[in-house]
Amino acid sequence: MWLVRPAQPDDLEQILEIAGTQSARLSSTLPKHSEALASKIEHSLASFAGTVPASEAPRFLFVLEDTNTGQVAGTAGIDARAGNGQPFYNYRRDALVHASHELGVSRRVEVLYPSHSLTDQTLLCSFSIRPELRETEAFELLSRARMLFIAEHRQWFSSRLVVEIQGVQDEDGSVPFWDSLARHFFNMDFETADQYSSMLSKTFIAELMPPNPVYVTLLTERAQAALGQCHPLTKPNLELLLREGFHAGCYLDIFDAGPVLEARTDTVHTLVTSHRKSLHGRQDEAGDLCLISAGEGQAFRCTLARAEETLDDELKLSVSAWKVLGKSAGDAVRMAPL
Amino acid sequence: MLVIRPLQENDLDDLYAMAQNAGKGLTTLPADRELLQKKIAHARETFNQRCAPEAGLYLFALEDTELRKTVGISGIQARVGLDEVFYNYRLSITVNASKELGVHVRTPTLHLSNDMTDTSEICSLLLSDDYKGGGSGLLLSRCRFMYLDEFRKHFSEKVFAEMRGVSDRDGRSPLWDALGSKFFDMEFSEADMLSGLGNKAFIAELMPKYPIYLPMLPDPARAVIGRVHENTAPALKMLQAEGFNFNGLVDIFDGGPVVEAFVHNIRTVRESVNRYAMVTQTPIDLDVPAGERVMVSNRSFRDFRVTTIPTSCIGPDTVKMPPEVAEALNLESGDPVRLAPLKDNGPQFLHSHRSHDKADDRVRESRSRF
Repeated sequence: MWLVRPAQPDDLEQILEIAGTQSARLSSTLPKHSEALASKIEHSLASFAGTVPASEAPRFLFVLEDTNTGQVAGTAGIDARAGNGQPFYNYRRDALVHASHELGVSRRVEVLYPSHSLTDQTLLCSFSIRPELRETEAFELLSRARMLFIAEHRQWFSSRLVVEIQGVQDEDGSVPFWDSLARHFFNMDFETADQYSSMLSKTFIAELMPPNPVYVTLLTERAQAALGQCHPLTKPNLELLLREGFHAGCYLDIFDAGPVLEARTDTVHTLVTSHRKSLHGRQDEAGDLCLISAGEGQAFRCTLARAEETLDDELKLSVSAWKVLGKSAGDAVRMAPL
Repeated sequence: MLVIRPLQENDLDDLYAMAQNAGKGLTTLPADRELLQKKIAHARETFNQRCAPEAGLYLFALEDTELRKTVGISGIQARVGLDEVFYNYRLSITVNASKELGVHVRTPTLHLSNDMTDTSEICSLLLSDDYKGGGSGLLLSRCRFMYLDEFRKHFSEKVFAEMRGVSDRDGRSPLWDALGSKFFDMEFSEADMLSGLGNKAFIAELMPKYPIYLPMLPDPARAVIGRVHENTAPALKMLQAEGFNFNGLVDIFDGGPVVEAFVHNIRTVRESVNRYAMVTQTPIDLDVPAGERVMVSNRSFRDFRVTTIPTSCIGPDTVKMPPEVAEALNLESGDPVRLAPLKDNGPQFLHSHRSHDKADDRVRESRSRF
């Protein structure tokens, strides 16, 4: 069975291996170095336990585990407060109308404004999965398990959720938007900057960016074409998030101009359609495949199993799935249709 | 004889013809009778002190007295940016540095500014082709510094000139094509023409207000920022010789530089001296090369006149002039005049005021004894 659970220190090696298979992604919040990753896991565990000091922002890291083999197959994260206490940088794509009554002209001018507006919103991040699982139910489980976690711990999160989607990158690794803008200020290519960003932080790099708005018309044509466009590999992810009720607003990633998706937390599909049930057993597997989560904080588990709802708010679930969730008859679980 | 005098109503026809001949590219004086008429009227009000000092537009005509024809014009605007906003880009540097990343990048950046607001501008210089060479251009340009010097309280301490930027034969400007045209759907020549007609502020308001990072512009556009049109190179050289320097501002359309100088530092101002007119009947050969002539002004606010006379006419206290020169300057014997060198490499006699001469001699004598 597939299980989503908090990342543990033992998962380090496998997570590093998965991170290595993902393409360059400057704004990725998944460290590629074992020390940084170890401290991220440690921080995540403290976040799940609710022992993070108030001055620090909770950051949660989940892993997808194949319970048959014990192998880790993917990661997903939630930053309770985007920016984690630092400014969270985006470009806001906006327009100015340059008009003159005297000359009888009016022209719409697109501008990218540096923005911190999304700072402290809850950010879904650190998503990675083994490539062969990209189009499977496990993919959906990994992504949506976070929504169930948020539903169960609603008070930990903000009223809006945001997700950064990877932008356009060519096969040779170059990023048109980076090359047209940020490159001039760093004198380094995207991959070099990416390496720095995994050692330092995205905020650190962002602070070196020019603080002034940028006129879209002065970008190269290829960079203009890349604004708000996502990388083809992100398509399944994007489609899932759109189904969940996310939409692309006016915010763009400052490095590759990928779109930032936004949603009101309380209207996200999984939050709206999920229900609390009490666990009830059965021997065989029957019913519809659904997402079932249980447990709070560090005990949070989420799996994918066939289950049947009864009229008195019980969920009939095979006993084998009980074990995976660490629960037994009568315990509270949360379910959402797949 | 060529004489500088305030522009008058009856100069309109000559001015219009000159503007027509100047053709495309020179936009300070568009061939538009109505507009020229307005400018003349404005200049008349200014010289007659019927408008506020800061609204003044001082336009001078260069007249060929034999033909009674106006062959050149130059001007001073007392203050810019008062009734409409005056825009430039300031060329500055943005530094992006991080020791941790080993990054230290300097990015030339254009910031929209109104820094020249309230400053006097020297402008509107135009000389008929037939009169080019022989120092007429110098007279036309430098007479303005004599005027600034005489009537400093009417002008700012600092004066500036906008130099025409680079454009090609078809009137295309690389900077306009890369920047202005993206915000204002118009050819440079058209925008330039409109700005000559007094619409520059309107167009400027359509231009980008946020800083422009130069690396985002194509190479040809970057290359012309702060550079002058080849036809303007001599004018720039002349102003540089007067002590004008690039002040870091460029034109928002074509990237031409703004040069400025403090009035008291302008060479013509520093090297000017006072004398008294002495009208003489003794014949004087006025027809000497430009290098042997000096400018002489009648020091009048309302009826400012300047012409050139041979250096040999200058005495310790007086300057000799034949009756026709006195008449052209509207002077009589005993009237004060002011002199200034015409050419950069002209004789340096003007420093040798009589009293100084004697003192200098005394010093030299006393030194030679030891």
